[in-house]
Amino acid sequence: MKPKVKELLVESGCEHNETRTKACNSATPGATTGGCAFEGAQIALFPYADAAHLVHGPLTCLGTSWETRLTGTSWEGRDLTQMGFTTGIGINDVVFGGEEKLHEAIDAIMERYSPQAVFVYATCVTALIGDDLDQVCKQAAEKHGVPMVPVHAAGFVGSKNLGSRLAGEAVLNHLVGTREPESTTEFDINLLGEYNVTGDMWQYTHLLEELGIRVLSTLSGDGRIADIRTAHRAKLNVIVCAKSLVSLTRKMKERYDIPWVSLSFYGLRDTSDGLLTICRALGDPDLIARCEALIAREEAALAEKLAPYRELFQGKKAVLNTGGNKSWSIASALQDLGIEVVATSVRKATEEDKEKARKYLGEKGVLMTEPATQQAGVIDETGADLLLAGGRSMYTAIKKKISFIDVNQEKKKSYGAYNGLLNLAEDLKNALESPVFENVAKEAPWETQP
Amino acid sequence: MGDAALNESVIKFEKPVQVNPIRLTQPMGAALAFLGVDRCMPLMHGAIGCTSFTKVFFTRHFAEPIAIQTTAVSDVTAILDGGDHNITEAVKNITTKVSPALIGLHTTGLTETKGDDIRRVASKVDFPLVHVNTPDYEGAYESGWALATKAMIDQLVEPTKVTRSNKLVLLPPVNLTPIEVEKVKEFIEGFGFEVHALPDLSTSLDGHLGQKQAALSSGGIDIDTIRQLADAATVVTVGTSMEGCAAALQKKNPAILHKHFPHLQGLRATDNLVAFLLKQSGRDLPPASVVRWRQRLQDSLLDTHFALGQTRFLLTGEPDQLAGQAAALQEGGGRVAEVIAAAPSPVLETIEKARVRIGDLEDAEDLAAEYDLILGNTHCESLAHRLGKKVLLRGAPNWEEVGNQLKCDLLYEGGCHFLCEVANKASEV
Repeated sequence: MKPKVKELLVESGCEHNETRTKACNSATPGATTGGCAFEGAQIALFPYADAAHLVHGPLTCLGTSWETRLTGTSWEGRDLTQMGFTTGIGINDVVFGGEEKLHEAIDAIMERYSPQAVFVYATCVTALIGDDLDQVCKQAAEKHGVPMVPVHAAGFVGSKNLGSRLAGEAVLNHLVGTREPESTTEFDINLLGEYNVTGDMWQYTHLLEELGIRVLSTLSGDGRIADIRTAHRAKLNVIVCAKSLVSLTRKMKERYDIPWVSLSFYGLRDTSDGLLTICRALGDPDLIARCEALIAREEAALAEKLAPYRELFQGKKAVLNTGGNKSWSIASALQDLGIEVVATSVRKATEEDKEKARKYLGEKGVLMTEPATQQAGVIDETGADLLLAGGRSMYTAIKKKISFIDVNQEKKKSYGAYNGLLNLAEDLKNALESPVFENVAKEAPWETQP
Repeated sequence: MGDAALNESVIKFEKPVQVNPIRLTQPMGAALAFLGVDRCMPLMHGAIGCTSFTKVFFTRHFAEPIAIQTTAVSDVTAILDGGDHNITEAVKNITTKVSPALIGLHTTGLTETKGDDIRRVASKVDFPLVHVNTPDYEGAYESGWALATKAMIDQLVEPTKVTRSNKLVLLPPVNLTPIEVEKVKEFIEGFGFEVHALPDLSTSLDGHLGQKQAALSSGGIDIDTIRQLADAATVVTVGTSMEGCAAALQKKNPAILHKHFPHLQGLRATDNLVAFLLKQSGRDLPPASVVRWRQRLQDSLLDTHFALGQTRFLLTGEPDQLAGQAAALQEGGGRVAEVIAAAPSPVLETIEKARVRIGDLEDAEDLAAEYDLILGNTHCESLAHRLGKKVLLRGAPNWEEVGNQLKCDLLYEGGCHFLCEVANKASEV
């Protein structure tokens, strides 16, 4: 059962749909840098470490992308999320069809790795030659007795965002509601769109646990197939920093009457707001009171640990050149550390992101629409001390003799929730104190004027 | 995989599924080749993901911004368009923003499956453009790089009957690092030649601080130099994957002499190169530093042979690189036990005294009892950790370490460093 892409693109739960109907799915030839739908599906589902992820396509799709994301898991079996499985189809499969090979691939995986499920990903080539993934998965599920989930997010159907939606559809149609939980509690929630990259999720799940909130299932950070199959019994769906899963939560509201909230755990204010939002949505006055007490305690503890950093960061100004929700979420975290964010890029931001950026930066803040050409001037005008941007802006920072942090570099440690802010503070401190930028900016002997 | 007819001794890949694959693909090899041309924009004709994945892959490997664009084929244009719209739109959009000297158009599995005739579309584009067919369901990383190189020769180099005796064209394989390309160029220049490498990563992805906007490749061989390559007296190919490219250049000028070297790792391979350069240059002696480095390599061989002789190696990666590594290790008595190649190649048949197969890292797990030290890409790190083996990271991708562009294993000099690094790794407890 292939989900209808068109229906996903006019998602009524999406705020920007009123103004930008094409926003979720337009790629311009020769002027595009984003990932494809397959990548979006992969990001959304790969963190299930107890499932095999079989990519039915030529080798580029998986060969470039396996073992690239540090999605932590506590699963005690072999961590299948750090493995790559692909049919790696060749010319013969293109000519004669790849279904038989796909069957054999699933059999081989089941025999050797016994996963709790197999996600089978369509790719452009296998979608174009018309391999029937639904049929193969149906037969394989009957044969092996575990869920086989066809994921119809071939790269060419659209953006990464759409791919994550399609992954959500696959989970909804093939897993959710196929198993009953052993027990339920008043405070069961699903965490959706939290992929536990660098252990982000573990920065706050202990707080939920302390409040008596149980994470019934996740999509898909540190996730278990057995748990997501019971997701229909949750009392609340929590979307963590992922607008792409709005369709899923809307449908779960319709089918199972589960309300949903959308929030982020990035920075101090967002983390506190996020915890409170969950508790309020669960609607228990005692829970809300306990949550407020916990927030007060955590914020006080963090404030103490951050004090030396805040002192160090006092009066420091930063320019931020990054994309999407980072344009305000990183700004917010920087402000939590006492750094003044004087400018941020809104080149690729949605209307909603721009509004938030304006809110966080205030009247005086510069919202850069052409950061590549604007940022050097903005650094001069504001006297910024720090540039946070992608690698290609490094030269600007060196030329302006200020500190630089590559925000797009694969981070190895979590910046999430309260404790993640300490990691961020430490990295910022190192950047600001490092002599490297000054040394690199030094003129060569043959350039020095006599 | 089964692309090429292989010698009986090389074990074919016959599993229905690749588990922990090391094989890379033709569009990736082609894209990298175009990044060795100054102010070039590689343009991958396919869905956005092919390009996005490739960009991230190389950005992390080289720790440099990577310029590459996509024709952004969608499910709708995949059916309605023969490539005309997507390609011409892409060229228009690229050239309104930046001014490349060349666009390197190459295909993917998607656009080959739907049967786009890029040659026809390219003929309608009024902009310097090289086109090449590189489906990712055929060939692999090496062939993608070689096909793009051959396409640049075919489509850009101007035919001539003039020959300049000291001009030499170097056609390096995909596995050479930027610094390796530079070292080979300098080595040959030391014998009095004017050397041009195609592609030339040594000045584009060598990790230099420059005023990079990364909207285009910065550095590499420039397009005018490519056009004038056919007056070289000599073309040197390195790597079996590149051997066929020389014929394309000879077509432009039949007087060009072709000399092929399967690889440039180790004492014997470097001796072969030196012998050839002495003959061609008419000199009796190489530069003094070359003589000195050969003596150092002799000494390194002796210093490391004890550790090498006690170590059983698993080599994984691209065929041309495997051939070089196997030779360099075996010269010092290293016991190359297992070789897992990412893709088929005739060069694999030349690797002696080792079991050679086309495979993946699941095969490496099955063979765990047979080796002590692994040479291979970033994915071998977790493999080694899991199996309790030692690992030396070579090949692409290497996302674990920085400085990939600065590693040189070639010639006498690089050979010394390579042997010492291997021996030190082998001796780690």
